[in-house]
Amino acid sequence: MPDAHKPGDRVFRPRRIKRFRLRRVLGVPGLFSAGYGDVGSSIYYALGIVAIVALGATPIALAAAGVIYIFNALTYAEGGAMIPEAGGSASFARHGINDLVGFIAGWALMLSYIATMALSAYTIPPYLSHFWPVLNEPAVNTVVSMGIIGFLMLINVLGVRESTGVNIFFIVMDIATQITIVVLGVVLILAVNPGMLVQHMFGQGNWPSTPNLVLGIAIAALCFTGVETVSQLAEETRRPAERIPQAYVLMIVAVLVLFAGISIVALTAMTPQALGDPVNGWARDPVAGIAANLPSQLLRGIFEPLVAVLAASILLTASNAGLLGISRLTFNLSSHKQLPATFGRVHRVFRTPYVAIILFCGIAVLLLVPGITSPGFFTQLGALYVFGSLLCFALAHAAILSLRIRKPETPRPFKLGLNIKFRGADLPLTAILGLLATTGVWIVVIITEPFSRWAGIGWMAGGLIIYFFYRLWRKHPRPPSEEWEVRPEKRK
Amino acid sequence: MSDNMEFKKILVPVAGSPEDEGAMRLACRLAKKDKGKIWAVSVVAVKRALPLDAEIDSEIHQSENVLDRVETVAEEEDCEVETDILQARDAGPAIVDEAVERGADIILMGFSYKRRFGQYSLGHVVPFVLKNSPCPVILYQQ
Repeated sequence: MPDAHKPGDRVFRPRRIKRFRLRRVLGVPGLFSAGYGDVGSSIYYALGIVAIVALGATPIALAAAGVIYIFNALTYAEGGAMIPEAGGSASFARHGINDLVGFIAGWALMLSYIATMALSAYTIPPYLSHFWPVLNEPAVNTVVSMGIIGFLMLINVLGVRESTGVNIFFIVMDIATQITIVVLGVVLILAVNPGMLVQHMFGQGNWPSTPNLVLGIAIAALCFTGVETVSQLAEETRRPAERIPQAYVLMIVAVLVLFAGISIVALTAMTPQALGDPVNGWARDPVAGIAANLPSQLLRGIFEPLVAVLAASILLTASNAGLLGISRLTFNLSSHKQLPATFGRVHRVFRTPYVAIILFCGIAVLLLVPGITSPGFFTQLGALYVFGSLLCFALAHAAILSLRIRKPETPRPFKLGLNIKFRGADLPLTAILGLLATTGVWIVVIITEPFSRWAGIGWMAGGLIIYFFYRLWRKHPRPPSEEWEVRPEKRK
Repeated sequence: MSDNMEFKKILVPVAGSPEDEGAMRLACRLAKKDKGKIWAVSVVAVKRALPLDAEIDSEIHQSENVLDRVETVAEEEDCEVETDILQARDAGPAIVDEAVERGADIILMGFSYKRRFGQYSLGHVVPFVLKNSPCPVILYQQ
């Protein structure tokens, strides 16, 4: 033991200046697998929902949505690299426009997360009906999906450790299976009879009316899941300035190739009526429909159970990702004084935001209630997701444009090209087109889908009431300043 | 073990276990021998349902207390230590990444005797560090 300190000796103990440092570990593979976990899962239900309205024009609707997807991903790449925070579009809007618009984006994003969670849970039983046919009954389907949400609620309140390795394994298996199905479908179905695709797309009664085609493009926005997920993980990413744009580019390629391939193969293997029938057809489990229509008994024997297991696991992961997204976002909004702190309260023992988890799981379960009697109800859930997500995307585009005008000096590690000069600011053309397209599609959904119109507007109105009353109660005139922000020096 | 092995940079992850004190004393003696430097880190594992930058005061206070205790031990050993709190999703990858970033020559970890399902268990952090560490690891158990 060393000698004791002598009288007069002073011990200098520097205090920790910052309370903690964030240890970021995510790289491009981690970001891509998280984002693809969502996009890959949406293939398992989006195809069927789009086919219900767009019939033979399903691939066209998905292609048009794919173009909007590119605009969205590019905008999020600039925003995520510039503002690596957990809030996604809510953070962009808060920094780019103001606190209220940031809240609107965040609240709309919550709605889309709840709808994703409900939709993913609702489509698990139809895939598992390959093993237990009773799961295809609407009432059983709905009750089981409510049970799945209850199970996810429980494990998330308890904070059970998630196995990243298992998630990545399922995602790799999922991509491999989807590619295999596309290749087999092209070789064994499309190449053998290419006229079948033309017949199913343009044959009598297969091409939709123009309003339905427009609605189909709007509903195809369901495949936009995953864009927000990557942005939400920005704060956990090592060197986000480089890796977030790289992950988005990878996702754009994967989404476009797989959605194009699977939609073409599905429409060759099935009539649009069979693909879009939620009761006796494959609308609730379209990829299972492709597997069931493969021309060889051996291939059907392999792919039918494989698709059932993979789809169920990926959809379960996606449903859980939706729940995690909501709880993080709630905490983020409450820590920026946009929601009462009660919403983001953390459990003393489990260290999880249990109020947000229980509350939003409860809302998701309530959303599923009409499914007990109406098997086609999940189309309306899809439209509700589109209502929330398109509002977020429109506000994200607006925020990126606003940031270009209001804070041109802020460092942008990834800056979009193709700019138009406006009042001295460089405005990216893709963000302008993205804003116009997402706003246009959002308006179409509001006009044509009464359920999502009233449920969505009701949700937003409820959120705004909470926001205004909370702000009034707090008398909080200015939001707290942000550490990341680089403020340009004032010119004298 | 080669004779010219030097431990100039020692990383000591601490978790509030009784073994932290012994691990820190051992680190101080190794550091004194080679005139090395010690970093003690405490990792706050943030659940995935919360943002990584969520400030959970009780957890941070707990980590601060743990680090204060090891600073006291280092003072008693007449040794300088730099301390830090890390927020991460998982302690294992955070410790390994910290060792890589700081170019640590050795990781010195204390860990307690634990049983899980009736079997002696190292938990999940120690095996991860042993498997992925870029440098030698010393485990200290009393």
